[in-house]
Amino acid sequence: MTRQTLLGLGFLSPALLAVVMFFLLPVVLTVVFAFTNMSTSTGILGGAYQISESDLRRLPAAGVSDEAVTLLEGAGYAVQPETLALFAAEFGEDRASELEKLHGGATFDDRRAMERALKELRRNPLRKVRDRKTAAELFRVSILGQRFATEAEFQTAIADLGVPDPDRAALTTAAYTGWTFTTQNFELLWKLPATWRYALNTVLYVVLTLGFNVSFGLFLALSTFYLPTRTAQTFRAIWFLPRILPPVLYVLMWQWLTWDQGFISAMMRPFGIEPINWMRHTATHAWIFIVLINGCVGASLGMILFSSSLRAIPETQLFAAQVDGANRWQQARYVLLPQMRWPILFITSYQTLSLLTSFEYILLATDGGPGRQTEVWALAAYHTALSNYGGNLEYGLGAAYALGLVIIGILLSALYLRFFNFRELVAKPRIEQ
Amino acid sequence: MRIELQNFTKRFGDTTVIEDMSLSVASGEMVALLGPSGCGKSTTLFAISGIHRIDGGTLHFGDRDVTALPPQDRPVGVVFQNYALYPHMSVAENIGFPLKVQKLSSSEIKRRVSEMADLVQIGNLLSRKPQQLSGGQQQRVALARALVRKPDVLLLDEPLANLDAKLRLEMRSEIRRLQRETGITAILVTHDQIEAMSMCDRIALMKDGNIEQISTPSEMYERPASRYVAGFLGNPPISFLQAEANGQLALGGGNALALPNGITATGPVTLGVRPEHFGPQHRGSSVAGRVSFIEPQGREDLIDVILPDDQRLRAIVPAGHDITLGQEISWQVDLDRVHLFDAEGARL
Repeated sequence: MTRQTLLGLGFLSPALLAVVMFFLLPVVLTVVFAFTNMSTSTGILGGAYQISESDLRRLPAAGVSDEAVTLLEGAGYAVQPETLALFAAEFGEDRASELEKLHGGATFDDRRAMERALKELRRNPLRKVRDRKTAAELFRVSILGQRFATEAEFQTAIADLGVPDPDRAALTTAAYTGWTFTTQNFELLWKLPATWRYALNTVLYVVLTLGFNVSFGLFLALSTFYLPTRTAQTFRAIWFLPRILPPVLYVLMWQWLTWDQGFISAMMRPFGIEPINWMRHTATHAWIFIVLINGCVGASLGMILFSSSLRAIPETQLFAAQVDGANRWQQARYVLLPQMRWPILFITSYQTLSLLTSFEYILLATDGGPGRQTEVWALAAYHTALSNYGGNLEYGLGAAYALGLVIIGILLSALYLRFFNFRELVAKPRIEQ
Repeated sequence: MRIELQNFTKRFGDTTVIEDMSLSVASGEMVALLGPSGCGKSTTLFAISGIHRIDGGTLHFGDRDVTALPPQDRPVGVVFQNYALYPHMSVAENIGFPLKVQKLSSSEIKRRVSEMADLVQIGNLLSRKPQQLSGGQQQRVALARALVRKPDVLLLDEPLANLDAKLRLEMRSEIRRLQRETGITAILVTHDQIEAMSMCDRIALMKDGNIEQISTPSEMYERPASRYVAGFLGNPPISFLQAEANGQLALGGGNALALPNGITATGPVTLGVRPEHFGPQHRGSSVAGRVSFIEPQGREDLIDVILPDDQRLRAIVPAGHDITLGQEISWQVDLDRVHLFDAEGARL
């Protein structure tokens, strides 16, 4: 390795590091997470081993025999030498021996019964409820609700309990609280009707917004093209505002416009139209405003790109078109637009890909509502993984959503590259001027 | 179709480029607008085509007032300096575009396009794209597109400037042939005097937004209306000498010429002598000087002569002479052919 190579690598390394850290790693992690059942309840690190009462019902499905389930269920609180020794250490030999006399060898199904037994102590009663609770816990022999840090501890515990050998492996797996690798996310996505609804919403969102973006961007570019330079620049600057405005502020202005106390409602009231929330009244309202909100942001990008490519077309071609008898519409249709194939295709493909993954404006505007009618795929991924109302954030399922988006994005880009023959479009020289 | 431009004024912002200019072109005539860059010749052309609005004055095509008409409605065809072909259209589509926007039937368009392509001799190139053509071929396409609408007026804006020397010669006669064959009224904008003189019936020589002189090429060459016109036309250029008219033309340094016939002026004048009217082969009044430079041209040589008062004259002498550098000579000026201008530059 020469010095130059090393030096080059040295200069590259910050960028390489950033690419790996902020691009490659997230993609890889998304793929990995998509194949796990990771969620808030499993945690993202390893888990412990624990069977709770509510788990008992699902154990037979996990391959644990009924016998073992009965064992786990039955074992509760027992007054036996080991537990009595613990009790003696905490609350005195005195009480221990009295309890042994009263209930030696007895078992109790639940804590309440155990506490009642402790209440029967007469010579030196446990008066405080809290003390009785602490004491009852000392007699507990069930492993239900008990946390075992390692697999070995759990194995010992169920062996002690007398769980039959064949059931132990299945029981250990069922008791694990950490995340595991699984394909159930994808099965779930496939099965849930909501997934298809979100996919349909995404198609609707992308197609409508894209159509608005490109056509409105073109309209703005063409109309400002024929204006005097300064006026055109002012217009373009105004139309560029939505893009440079912070999204929260921008959407807040739309909210203000559409609230039932907002601008539209206020303007409509004198005409006898009842104030409604124009953005969230129905799904149609919501879609219209989502397309408008996203479209006004996207159109400005198209407008800038289209304007600059319009200006790259030699002015004399327009002069020629004029003396050839072409009116403005014909100039745009036959002379300008055909020469803007490349920017139009670029904007179309670029916007498709960025719209597929963008959800911030929908999140701020309708948050997928009303109901889930404007919930798009990316927003569903966000809601599932990062902002679940139930509180259990399903990272694994969310990652599966995201992975679907990544795959669709890659397929679409490959399709665009092939279909539009980008290489040729970029390389093609203009006519010699 | 006669073109009548009267009191034409054009402003860009606060700058007045052309003020009160008038030009009239007879039907079937080809007129050159000649002048250095920035003299307003292209502006005039664009105003006639309608691409630029006219700020003052009127424009008539025949008896029809077209001053306020947009370019789309004027019967003009324009050939631009860079041809302005539409790069995404084939040659046939380029030529047919003026017909297409008139919504003619495609069979009619096809017929007229091939007719026009044959006229400019590019019938075999119809399916090519402009970038696949040479400069001369592109030029022919531009001509065909300008003519296909059968306009009454053909406007050519520096049509030969982007061609190499050989093609320029070819297209010069080609454009003139087309103009004659179609009988169209044409205006050619150029900064090249050879183009203007060889292609046009009349030349309008422009300076700073004004027409300095308008006349036939030979008239303009033989009788330039001003010192500016005399200096602009002719290659190699005319030589100017400062002289004092007092019954004769005193040149300083002892040289003096007789006054040409019919000249009665006195005081300081400028004498213009074309190189072909000075030399040992002429008869007339002699001027003495020293040969300072010899530039062989093959058929003839250009010889610079420096006079005793440091003024210079240039002569064209047929090859085969024995003149050497530094030689003291006394050659004749053809007094019938010299030009005299007053202090303001106007012809005397």
